[in-house]
Amino acid sequence: MSDALVLNLVLFLPLLGIGLLLLVPADQPTLVRRLTLLVMVVVFVLTLRLYVHFDSTVAGLQFETRLPWIAAWGVHYQVGLDGYNILLVMLTAFLGPLVTASAFTAITKDVKLFYAMVLLIQFAMTGTFLAQDLFLFYVFWETMLIPMFLMIGIWGGERRIYATIKFFLYTAFGSILMLAAVIYLVVSLQDAGGVTSFAFADLVKARLPLDVQAWLLAAFALSFAIKVPMVPLHTWLPDAHVQAPTAGSVILAGVLLKMGTYGFMKLGFPLFPDATHLFTPVLMSLAVLSIVYGACLALVQDDIKKIIAYSSISHLGYVMLGLLSLQLTGIQGAVIQMVSHGLVAAGLFLMVGMIYERCHTRELAAYGGLARLLPVYSVFFMVLTLASVGLPTTSGFTGEFLVLLGAFTGAWPQYLAGDSLPLILAGVAVSGVVLGALYMLRFALTFLFGATKAPQTGAHPLTDLDGREKTILALIVVAVFALGLFPGEPLRKTELAAKNFQQLVTTPRLPAVKP
Amino acid sequence: MNSATAMTAFTAMMPEHLLLLGMALIIVLEIAGRGARLSLLVALACVGLAAASAAGLALQGYSAAPFAGHFSVQPAALMGKALVLALGLLVLLMSRDEFSGGEFPVLLLASLYGAGLMQSADSFLTLFLGLEILSLPVYVLVMLAYRRPQSAEAALKYLVLGGTASAMFLMGVSLLYGSSAALGIPAGEAMGIRSFVAALGSDDTMARAAAVLVILALFLKAAIVPFHTWAPDAYEGASVPVTAYMAVVVKAAVLLAAVRLFGNAVLASPMLELVAVLPLLSIVWGNLAAMRQPSLRRMVAYSSIAHAGYLFYALLGEPAGRLQATVFYLLAYGLLNLLVFAALPAAADDRERDLLSRLQGLFQRSPFAALMIGIAMLSLAGIPPFPGFVAKFLIFKNVIAAGYTTYAVLGLLGSYLGIYFYLRVIQVMFMGTAQAAPGAPGEASAGTNWAAVASVACLVATLALALFPGWVLARL
Repeated sequence: MSDALVLNLVLFLPLLGIGLLLLVPADQPTLVRRLTLLVMVVVFVLTLRLYVHFDSTVAGLQFETRLPWIAAWGVHYQVGLDGYNILLVMLTAFLGPLVTASAFTAITKDVKLFYAMVLLIQFAMTGTFLAQDLFLFYVFWETMLIPMFLMIGIWGGERRIYATIKFFLYTAFGSILMLAAVIYLVVSLQDAGGVTSFAFADLVKARLPLDVQAWLLAAFALSFAIKVPMVPLHTWLPDAHVQAPTAGSVILAGVLLKMGTYGFMKLGFPLFPDATHLFTPVLMSLAVLSIVYGACLALVQDDIKKIIAYSSISHLGYVMLGLLSLQLTGIQGAVIQMVSHGLVAAGLFLMVGMIYERCHTRELAAYGGLARLLPVYSVFFMVLTLASVGLPTTSGFTGEFLVLLGAFTGAWPQYLAGDSLPLILAGVAVSGVVLGALYMLRFALTFLFGATKAPQTGAHPLTDLDGREKTILALIVVAVFALGLFPGEPLRKTELAAKNFQQLVTTPRLPAVKP
Repeated sequence: MNSATAMTAFTAMMPEHLLLLGMALIIVLEIAGRGARLSLLVALACVGLAAASAAGLALQGYSAAPFAGHFSVQPAALMGKALVLALGLLVLLMSRDEFSGGEFPVLLLASLYGAGLMQSADSFLTLFLGLEILSLPVYVLVMLAYRRPQSAEAALKYLVLGGTASAMFLMGVSLLYGSSAALGIPAGEAMGIRSFVAALGSDDTMARAAAVLVILALFLKAAIVPFHTWAPDAYEGASVPVTAYMAVVVKAAVLLAAVRLFGNAVLASPMLELVAVLPLLSIVWGNLAAMRQPSLRRMVAYSSIAHAGYLFYALLGEPAGRLQATVFYLLAYGLLNLLVFAALPAAADDRERDLLSRLQGLFQRSPFAALMIGIAMLSLAGIPPFPGFVAKFLIFKNVIAAGYTTYAVLGLLGSYLGIYFYLRVIQVMFMGTAQAAPGAPGEASAGTNWAAVASVACLVATLALALFPGWVLARL
């Protein structure tokens, strides 16, 4: 089987899985669950094969498929792996089976529709990462909204309708302006060079005037920044996270939030380098603001899901900072941070979901001394907390360290040249690490230690983790340590892409203005 | 008339002839007392054959002018006819539940005849004739749901405003005749009625007034703000298949005729503002007003006001791309609206059939219907991967390519306003708590098979359109 075929299988197997689910009678939820898990595991195994076969010494696309889709507009079905997306595709495929297994006991209503939505979002997310054609990317990008909308709206908490409509309207607003920008970009490329193409490879050659670049980047950046989310466009996230079912939160935190940063890295900055240069101070300030503001908010939350939600805002601020540093270490760190946050936040949301299934409250004050009641649970929780704080040997450390290193390396020459803003921002960003330790340790201390209390209901005795839950968490913990201890191999896979990104963004696309 | 011209008239008007034949047959059957059983089959067969013949001729690249200066066919016109007839066929399929007699099919066929005539009009006389033949049966069709008090009101409202539109149209045409002394074009011209195209760019007050009146008459027929107020009441008063017919086929016929009328005219100020601003207002107002509607039919009415806005936006694009954009949009829009109406679960009282409160928890009761309506709603909202997105993309791409970026961005922002109420329908169907279906469930089940056929046909066509838009676009 050729690897290009495997790549298409990875993309389309979830869709095939939906077709299979349709054939299963609705009164057999167990079969539905097992079938979904089987599809997800197969997808992961195939992705693993691609990961192993991926040649890190080759720049550009590998395992590419390119077929005409809407020939008249130059739209192609073009998918492939490169250093930009390989780790994220891997992350998506890794989380798929875990999400599926995590919802086995939590979801009992409309099981078939639920798993169809899990598979659909898996398809759309993988497609967004793999797409190498702007039209295709946009289609996948928007398709993601539909399953998430239903997931929060049908299986969510008490205020699920409000949360899900807010989520949809927020993200759709960004997308609609991005759509205008996409059309404008392609049309101006067509007017300039006579080529009608949506392929990323052609679009990065566009030489647009600075004001056009600035408008287009603003539209793209709005859409991506909502998705990241960057302060002040973050208000949909806490609502969506808190109201979503556990599986929804995991997908949201694990993969969906990476879409924004991936969009900036793959499209936003490389397409409009000159405008990026113009916007860097603003975007960098917002990134640092997200780090600090997200951390401060996480410090005062009473709802355990909200703590993790706000911590996500803070952690993704690092990713943006790393990308904007335009240093190889910073960019590499940003990629690692994306994957690391995907693992750690997903793990934490899974753990919150597990305790919620037992106690039916998300109130932090209702818990205490879980270390004595649920020892296994507490060990896993502590490990993930420390990974979130960024303890050395965990993946969180690798990401944050490289990002900050990149930020300082980039800021120092600018400081010597008389621009002190990047250095100040990098300095402030360090405080995020301290704040991160504060809010996570506050969370863990209240949660695990102190006076023993946990709301118990008669129907659900407070038992420690079962085998399924232990397996899920163990897999995540192994991945967290693997990424923390041996970051060399994944970094090699992304190195050429990071260099490519750096080169695209730092080379001005416009001729120098004549004095 | 020698045999060659007779042959041309026979071939070129084949779709129309088939419709006429169908009408005659149904009337004869009705007199013979067998109308109840056979008329629908006859109508289905004739419309189907007519659509097939139009499509067949279009694919052959057939063009002829049997009545030079008044009536001619080109592949583009035939494609429009095929589209309108195919959509009409789906309306007929879903009407089985509501009407058992011969009145409905015969009136529908007559109206489709008018729609066909409009697509081939080379002069204002033919266009007017087509417009009237299209509209008159619809006034009666609205009245057919006479058991409900609203239907008389709806029909009257529609009749009066339809009459106003005709009057405006005729006034415009007379002024045009006064200024240019011509009602049509010589045979052989590509497209567009030349005197109208000239009037669009003219500085002469009379010609300009004439063009404005004609455009406003089209706006009234297509329900563009501020000439839209009849639509929600008329749609609500009519029974479901008639609403579908008005929302889909009548709108398609008017829009296609508008594209033909504009021909290759490049719009310039002040006509440009007229054709851009009022549709923009329609997009915004249609989407805003739809948020507050209690029933799906009124919601679709406002949504169709907004969609008429997008469709007129197509005229802002380069002349070469207008027809393709309009036809593709109408195809997607028509299929999706019909999907909504065909999938609506039957009810004893037609009026309550589509109240949003009745759709609460529909997914629990009939998941298939809920999924279909859901897909249609997302697609009408323009969310990929459904065909409504490609259609919208094409129109806005043409508008931006023609250089009207501001209008395009405003239009897109207007379309954003619409997302909320489409989502609301999904929210009601999927996230509402299920309630027992009022009335006996087995009631109208005998006839629902036909509506199911129609909805499956719509769904298959929709999915095909979503997966292979390139294949379809290459053939338009």
